Amino acid sequence: MRPPLASNPAFVALALTVSTAAAAAAYSYAGAAASAEVAESAAPTQPTQFGPRSQRASSARPGERPSHNFYFTRAVYTSWGGGFGWGRWATDFPQADRWIVNVLGRLTGVDVSPLENPVRLDDPDLRRYPFLYALEVGDMALRDREIEGLRNYLLAGGFLVIDDFWGAYEWDNFEREFRKVLPEYEIVDLPLDHPIFSTFYQIEQIIQVPNVGQGIRGGPTHERGETGRIPRVRGIFDEDGRLMVIINWNTDLGDAWEWAEDPQYPLQYSTFAYQMAANFIVYAMTR
Amino acid sequence: MALALWEFLFKYPPLVFEKGRLVFSTPLPGWMIAVAIALAGLAAWSYLRRSRGLSPGDRAGLVTLRAALLALLVLLLLRPTLQVPVAVEQENYLGILVDDSRSMLVADDGSITRAEDLVAQLDAELLQALSERFRLRLFSFSGDAERVEEVGQLSFTGGQTRIGRAVEQARSELAGVPLAGLVVLTDGADQSEAELNAALLSARSGSLPIYTVGVGREQFQRDIELRRVSSPRGVLRGTSMMVDLVIAQNGFAGRTVPLIVEDEGRVVNTQDVEMPMDGTPATVRVHFTADDPGWRRFSFRVPLQEGELVAENNRRESLIEVREGAQKVLYFEGEPRFEVKFMRRAVTGDPELQLVVLQRTAENKFLRLDVDSPEELADGFPVTREELFGYRALIIGSVEASFFSRDQLQMIVDFVSERGGSVLFLGGRHSFAEGSYSGTLIEDLLPVELDPNPEPDYYREVKVEPTRAGETHAALQLSSDPDTSRARWSTLPELSTFNRLTRLKPGATALLTGSGPGVSDGQVVLAYQRYGRGLSLALPVQDSWIWQMHADVPLEDETHETFWKQIMRWLVNEVPDQLTLTASAEPAAINHSVDLQAELRDSAFQRINDAVVTASIETPSGISSELPLRWSNRQDGEYLASFMPVEGGVHQIRLRAERNGEEIAASTLALDAAEDDGEFFSAQMRAPLLRRIAEETGGQFYALSDIDRLAGDVQYSGSGITRVESYDLWDMPIIFLLIIGLIGAEWGFRRKRGLP
Repeated sequence: MRPPLASNPAFVALALTVSTAAAAAAYSYAGAAASAEVAESAAPTQPTQFGPRSQRASSARPGERPSHNFYFTRAVYTSWGGGFGWGRWATDFPQADRWIVNVLGRLTGVDVSPLENPVRLDDPDLRRYPFLYALEVGDMALRDREIEGLRNYLLAGGFLVIDDFWGAYEWDNFEREFRKVLPEYEIVDLPLDHPIFSTFYQIEQIIQVPNVGQGIRGGPTHERGETGRIPRVRGIFDEDGRLMVIINWNTDLGDAWEWAEDPQYPLQYSTFAYQMAANFIVYAMTR
Repeated sequence: MALALWEFLFKYPPLVFEKGRLVFSTPLPGWMIAVAIALAGLAAWSYLRRSRGLSPGDRAGLVTLRAALLALLVLLLLRPTLQVPVAVEQENYLGILVDDSRSMLVADDGSITRAEDLVAQLDAELLQALSERFRLRLFSFSGDAERVEEVGQLSFTGGQTRIGRAVEQARSELAGVPLAGLVVLTDGADQSEAELNAALLSARSGSLPIYTVGVGREQFQRDIELRRVSSPRGVLRGTSMMVDLVIAQNGFAGRTVPLIVEDEGRVVNTQDVEMPMDGTPATVRVHFTADDPGWRRFSFRVPLQEGELVAENNRRESLIEVREGAQKVLYFEGEPRFEVKFMRRAVTGDPELQLVVLQRTAENKFLRLDVDSPEELADGFPVTREELFGYRALIIGSVEASFFSRDQLQMIVDFVSERGGSVLFLGGRHSFAEGSYSGTLIEDLLPVELDPNPEPDYYREVKVEPTRAGETHAALQLSSDPDTSRARWSTLPELSTFNRLTRLKPGATALLTGSGPGVSDGQVVLAYQRYGRGLSLALPVQDSWIWQMHADVPLEDETHETFWKQIMRWLVNEVPDQLTLTASAEPAAINHSVDLQAELRDSAFQRINDAVVTASIETPSGISSELPLRWSNRQDGEYLASFMPVEGGVHQIRLRAERNGEEIAASTLALDAAEDDGEFFSAQMRAPLLRRIAEETGGQFYALSDIDRLAGDVQYSGSGITRVESYDLWDMPIIFLLIIGLIGAEWGFRRKRGLP
């Protein structure tokens, strides 16, 4: 049997380059119309249109499959000083989402929906999407219905990836909010020998992925002072030892997905971010 | 009454006419008969001439009556006679076989037992009447026929009634003496159909008539009988079992009786059963869980009801092997999808199941989960029979047919047909016709017909419903209460499918179907068929995880877990091991030989003939012995031995097979040995069976109340030393009545028509 190509770093770099070019083309095709649609849907007065029904309606687009095994679903949540509209949840949205589904569809055998899929935490249809991505949770301010929706989602078997929040202040806010969701479960550091770091790619080291500006400029990669200096990957396990939530603190994987095609953006960050994403998704679909 | 009337009119019993040959033995010379016929003709001619003036109708009526009278008189002149072979007095032997089994102690009417009734009849008349013409040889029989000198020696303690065996033994004992026939007095509770058929064939070819006398009633007034229990031979520990019972009854219509299920004496379920109308058996399904490992004795019983005749037939027992230890199931999934995650979660807590996952995560990249060693599945999907056949069941997800080599496709087919494993094909965008399985070796294995022209991008949401077969299938019970289970099915959220499958293969069964907008009628959601030694299933949906994640499903709901645990337990439950052992009778009867049959295969499930196979048998009292099994010489891999239990209870048999001094396989069997209670099941007098025995051999069947006719009839058996006796027919009262009738009819006719 041939050695698995996808595990070869040279292939990964090549695939990322090719994928990046292809995704850029796809984005230029779908971007404007879809953005307009989402922006309209995102109005606080009609928040539920973010849900799968709007996705299914969009499946009528020519050439699109009516259903996919995987939707890159972004959590729409309430944050301080803002409602559901273009709040903190929408950082890098929808570009990062589209980049990642395009690239991951090529790197892995996952049948991925090519469109972004933002869903409110209190939308019952959230439960149709067992993978969920949330970022900028440092300003998260969940309402009761969101707490209940997210808790039930995770206990039913959903998997949440948290990304792009920095420093002690944002951590404290996130932790305080998440205690309302899963008060009975501890947040623990994930060791590198946890299966999530080897499910698809072998991750040998956790590196800090800076925001796009710092990445292109070079220099320090951290934000929010000293407490944002060390990247951490933490998790929340249920009583059966199953990982429900993976927390990427002091790092910004989303920017690496979004700016991977920028020739100025360092390849090492986007390679690492896409490897992590592939692992998160394959892990979420198998464990 | 009818018989008495017959004998009054015809002078002789019907049997004489049946056995006799009609001859004409007139003492008149031929010329005198010719003259008589001529005179009759002349009389007729003269009669016709004289009646010329009559109308055609009157003339025809008179001529018919007169001609019939003349013909009857001419017939009588010929002196019709029956020639019948009759047994010569005291020259022939007659074997009398009396059922000595325990079922003869049943008191059909509640007071006198069959045995008492029979003995009274024998003593009173029958033996005396028969001994006037025959030399009698009395036998008692249940399993074997034994000579007895007198009726008083009958004990009515025998086990199985084996009429065929008894007939053969009596014939053998009476070989060489003139034998007029055999008389078998029994209730017909025979348990050995094949043996009986052979004996009847032999008796018929030897022209030996068998006269059967039925003792007892054909239907009990009040009785409940557990007629049949259909239980699996083995189950995994913790499996929710579903056992079907047939309860026959009479006299309890509309009453509700409890059915109690016990596991080694511990009650595991009690269920009320309403008795249907009298004579109609009730089919009952009971649920219970087998929690304790090992060979377990499960008993099913209805407590003795008031007024019941037979207590012994209210109880049935089954020895069931409750296995423990993880049974390996290989799930090969061709693309990452959530079905893998949720299926694994559903069965993870089940200690009896080990779901090994091989998932293709990218082209030529595989993820292995829950393997036992670093080498297991290291090269992807197995390429050798030994590796694949190490699993008991196989689940194939969304993977296109072209992924597999031809050898691998053949191995999957052999996995089911030869190894006896189970395979479940899951739905998906690369499954069934959408995975280009049409025309491959797998197509024949599937329980569904593939669509030759699959619709591109077919995708439908389906509401899943159990079929009638599904509603009663053990694997699809979502609750121990059937009504709760049915209600749960009706509220489950829709699943989706890419695979339009609506036609079943002949012999396949659909357990779940789907409906919804745009869904073709009969969309299969779960179907199965037997294929060779194994089982093949199709589950053409791709997101059963919705039953776990959907917002309408409460967090505490266990439907998804229950569904997959039960499906996987079903898949692995009856999958055979390399070495299997069966006994010819379970339970075995004490002091009766039982055949042990083993089937041995190697790790690739090829049959082996050169192994040393030994059974270690431990009796209930702890005595151990070794019994070698020999290759049967008639079928590859088959080894045989005979064993006779001499004490009651469960015998533990451990079987091991060795090759070149190394153990290659082992198996166990628990064999119960007991006094046979088979007599008490279907213990009503079986008239149809006894009538068939008589008819097939040229004998007669009698109810015990008609036994007085037997002595008269047996002399006409035609067997043994006979002499021909002639019986005149001209003086039968029926002839006289016929002549009077014809003359009277002519007189009446003339009078009515005003004729001279």
